[in-house]
Amino acid sequence: MKQEVLKAFDLPWLPVIALVLFVTSFVLYTWWTYRATNKSHYEQAGNIPLDDKDIA
Amino acid sequence: MSSENRSAVRTGTPEKFSYDDQIVKLFVIATLVWGVVALLLGVTIAFQLADFRLNFGLPWITFGRLRPLHTNAAIFAFCGNAIFAGIYYSHQRLLKARLFSDTLSKIHFWGWQLIIVSAALTLPFGITTGKEYAELEWPIDIAITVIWVVFAVNFFGTIIRRRERHIYVAIWFYIATILTVAVLHIVNSLEIPVSLTKSYSLYAGVQDALVQWWYGHNAVAFFLTTPFLGLMYYFVPKAVNRPVYSYRLSIIHFWSLTFIYIWAGPHHLLYTTLPEWAQTLGMIFSVMLWMPSWGGMINGLMTLRGVWSKVRTEPSVRFMATALTFYGMATFEGPLLSIKSVNSIAHFTDWIPGHVHSGTIGWNYMLIAGMLFYLVPKLWNSELYSKKLAHQQFWFATIGLVLYIISMWVAGITQSLMWRAMDDAGKLIYPNFIETVVKIVPMYWVRAIGGTMVLISFIMMVYNLWKTAKAGKKTDVVVYEAYPLHASHVEEGATSHRKLEGWPMIFAALSLIAILVGSAIEIIPSLMADQYVVKVSAIKPYSPLELLGRDVYIKEGCYLCHSQTVRPMPHEVVRYGKASNAAEFVYDHPFQWGSKRTGPDLARIGGKYPHMWHYKHFYEPREVTAGSIMPRYVWLFDQKIHYKDLPTKMRVMQQLGVPYTDEEVLKSVETAQLQAKGIADELAQSGVPAKVAEMDIVSLIAYIQRIGMDYTSMPDEEIATEGK
Ligand code: HEC
Repeated sequence: MKQEVLKAFDLPWLPVIALVLFVTSFVLYTWWTYRATNKSHYEQAGNIPLDDKDIA
Repeated sequence: MSSENRSAVRTGTPEKFSYDDQIVKLFVIATLVWGVVALLLGVTIAFQLADFRLNFGLPWITFGRLRPLHTNAAIFAFCGNAIFAGIYYSHQRLLKARLFSDTLSKIHFWGWQLIIVSAALTLPFGITTGKEYAELEWPIDIAITVIWVVFAVNFFGTIIRRRERHIYVAIWFYIATILTVAVLHIVNSLEIPVSLTKSYSLYAGVQDALVQWWYGHNAVAFFLTTPFLGLMYYFVPKAVNRPVYSYRLSIIHFWSLTFIYIWAGPHHLLYTTLPEWAQTLGMIFSVMLWMPSWGGMINGLMTLRGVWSKVRTEPSVRFMATALTFYGMATFEGPLLSIKSVNSIAHFTDWIPGHVHSGTIGWNYMLIAGMLFYLVPKLWNSELYSKKLAHQQFWFATIGLVLYIISMWVAGITQSLMWRAMDDAGKLIYPNFIETVVKIVPMYWVRAIGGTMVLISFIMMVYNLWKTAKAGKKTDVVVYEAYPLHASHVEEGATSHRKLEGWPMIFAALSLIAILVGSAIEIIPSLMADQYVVKVSAIKPYSPLELLGRDVYIKEGCYLCHSQTVRPMPHEVVRYGKASNAAEFVYDHPFQWGSKRTGPDLARIGGKYPHMWHYKHFYEPREVTAGSIMPRYVWLFDQKIHYKDLPTKMRVMQQLGVPYTDEEVLKSVETAQLQAKGIADELAQSGVPAKVAEMDIVSLIAYIQRIGMDYTSMPDEEIATEGK
């Protein structure tokens, strides 16, 4: 019976969709982030925490 | 980006503003107070496992009731307050804006403390949902939701009023935290109230388990990991005064974590009745989780390049670097544990609490300590009272933690190997479970000592920070200055992703989509579970008395020491009986599979012993099992069965789809009393006074004797044909 339940649960498209979605997104945001044109922007962004001098 | 070079593209005059640090101070104080409480509770239950006498035969402080209090205090009170302190401090500074509303901040603070206090006032009294890490009952669940919304409004309101266009990566992690925790909490807490202090989970059995561990796993991810990574991305650069090693890597880190974490739930349920493919999927994702985690750790540690000497000299840096190291270790161990073969050894053993604590103590406590050593001198305008004390604290905490981890590895692996040891004839070498318990009790002592050292280290920190704050000098409110954000200020020619990061709501929506898609994929099978779990006619709902007994089981937290699911492995089947089947649990609201076998599995306990055995065992386990570490449950012997709510309970079960007839509901009390009398009559033959029929112990025995009976009494052929 356990086998029967397992078979019934079998929705192979579900993990496949998950995997495809994940891999696609991963490729996309990695490419997006590492495009050469963005370098200086990210360097500036990385400095935000250090930019909080008060004026007193 | 400093304000000077930005002024080139900015128009208008800069605005003056100040930050709300008062609220940060309050959360810092709450962190320290609840930290002591959480650790004290942890040490208490650690000693209780080493020596049962420390349960003192008192209901309110018995292991099963204190353990949920410990986990809730550690996660939601200690870590929760620390997260709020760190977020409120960094959020304002990263956005150059005061928190949206001082009033909301105060409601958030006091509301959260009230929730914690109500947890402390309910859990010891056995008011619990019986779902691990989500034990709080429905009124408190609602309060949590309300306060979380207050937090969210305050948080996003601040983003809207910001004076810094780019949303720094720390805030991305905060956003993911806020959104995900809301979704997790609401979905997992769906329950139908029976009374103010009692409810039943909307889900049952396999489905409940799926939802619960989807929640449990992601609570670790989105309460104990993502917010702390956000804090790491702010406080590590601050502590060493240099930017994060690679901002781009931090972005990859963020998205990968968000995507993978939420999808990796099922590894908590390997080898149970969960569908095979979901197990495999969860496993693959868990292993993939390893990559972004280590990317994050490397990013944090590399930020310290060139200033490594500060690890030796600066307590804040030292604690943060250690936190990152333990984060690396825990996130290496986690995926390892999800590999099927490793998991089959580690699951249900002490290896798991060991792993959990390398995360909570090694990562969360250490990072919080690092953050506080940075924050407290700043907030109270003071110098750290004693670096020496901080370094001593560090060694106490580290050695304590290492003792904890190692003792639990040894205990876990030892016990697991004993459980599975079989001779050539296929017989168990250690058929008596208790042999495997007695063997590891020395390790429980080592763990308790390690935990005590961690507690002492924490108290050292509290003292150190208290002295620091006391020496603080009063200052005027610090005023800051920055340009306001206007639409006209979007820099010309900004690339599309830059705009995206500038649009917090769109960004939040994207994260939400990632989370929801992941959740959906994870949840679909469980929502469809009803269709697939074939109801087997022999599996009947609990009798009214058994239902009450089950509530005693939940109330006493038996699930924290006992599992109720036999895995399909030879040694388990030989030890306990037939492997568990999804159909067995269709009426279990909530499921009680458990996650730790401090005691043996109970899925096949029904009918194993006579009533009298249980009667004696619950009164004094040592009387029937020498060397047992199970607490006594003496109060169940003079606590009357609470029949008042019984019909309501049955009605709620009816609503949940349990096929009780109206007549059964009407006659429930009568039926229950009759069954109780039957058990009492049998006990009377061994000289037990007849009034036992009115006591809780009889309902518990009724439940215990029922567990697994319907399924095991079915002939195998029948199971096979009905399942079709
Ligand atoms: C601190 C952990 C702990 C808690 C909490 C705990 N137990 Fe136990 N239990 C054990 C241990 C260890 C054993 C094995 C030794 C023995 O028989 O006492 C055991 C054994 C048992 C057995 C006998 C199982 C067998 O197959 O021989 C039953 C039944 C049982 N427990 C029921 C309960 C119930 C019901 C509760 C809650 C009211 C509970 N236990 C709470 C640790 C615990």
